[in-house]
Amino acid sequence: MLNGIPLYWYLIVAAAMFCIGLYGALARTNAIAVLMGVELMLNAVNINLLAFWRYLTPESPAGLAFAAFVFIVAAAEAAVGLALIISVYRNMNSIDPEKLDLMKL
Amino acid sequence: MTVAQIVFILLTIVGLGAAFLVVTTRNLFHAALYLIASFFAVSGFYVLLEAGFFAAAQFLVYIGAISILFIFATMLTRTVRGMVPRNSQWQAALFIAVVLFIAMVAMFSPISFSLPIRPDRTFGGVEWQFAEIPGKPGVLRSVPDSSILDFGRALADLNQYGIALLLSGVLLLIGMIGAIWVARERKPREILAERARMAAEEAAEAARQSVGAKIPDVVVAHDSHH
Repeated sequence: MLNGIPLYWYLIVAAAMFCIGLYGALARTNAIAVLMGVELMLNAVNINLLAFWRYLTPESPAGLAFAAFVFIVAAAEAAVGLALIISVYRNMNSIDPEKLDLMKL
Repeated sequence: MTVAQIVFILLTIVGLGAAFLVVTTRNLFHAALYLIASFFAVSGFYVLLEAGFFAAAQFLVYIGAISILFIFATMLTRTVRGMVPRNSQWQAALFIAVVLFIAMVAMFSPISFSLPIRPDRTFGGVEWQFAEIPGKPGVLRSVPDSSILDFGRALADLNQYGIALLLSGVLLLIGMIGAIWVARERKPREILAERARMAAEEAAEAARQSVGAKIPDVVVAHDSHH
């Protein structure tokens, strides 16, 4: 395999990073930290996409294109998410996701 | 053990250790710095995967732009210190994350019921077709020199990813405009005017709904007055 590294090493590292990000997104008490967890999950997905590209289809640009679109969507998501967090903080003076229950009936 | 394997293990320790600290530390600013370390390790993985363009893009987009956004948001919301690190559902979250990890690793592990056990290439019940040089099992074909050129042409080609690229440009534009609009500073006068307008609208709605019930009220009030 590539330089002695089998593909499933990458998959296990990406799975671990995804699960750490999932824990962060579910268990943090600050919306910014929740977004950090989401970014970790997107990074794990990108490692998987590029690892499969390299090991299975290095001649095709498809894997690179998918990774690029994940980058683009992650950038847009971070910008809009952080703007929302700042707006919520201005209006409610708190960004604890558990306290944001204005829309609860 | 090859040099690449040692580098991989070091990157794993840095990346996963920093990711773990991101989700456990109390200081949000430190979490942002650990997030940068984690992005750095991921960039190293891209280098090991011979995707140099994406290693550079990781630097520019994640370390250069997204981390700065996180640091700015941390500072603008004054929630740096004293954050409770876990909420009330953290045990359920930990359980879900651990179970998902075990399930995924079980899927990747080279154990399969239908195929002979062949480490490195059989997982998820599928024997993957690696891009190997014929006659040399375990040696991957190299990335062609024109890889990035092909990638750029595929992105610009309307028959491949051209539409998706245009749409992602629109997405970024809308994201930028939306972020500016949502996070804009509003003067107290504007907020008060908006609240007054909303109150007027609510009053008008209430008056429109109770227009039938109003006349008896007036009659009752008139009677009690006498």
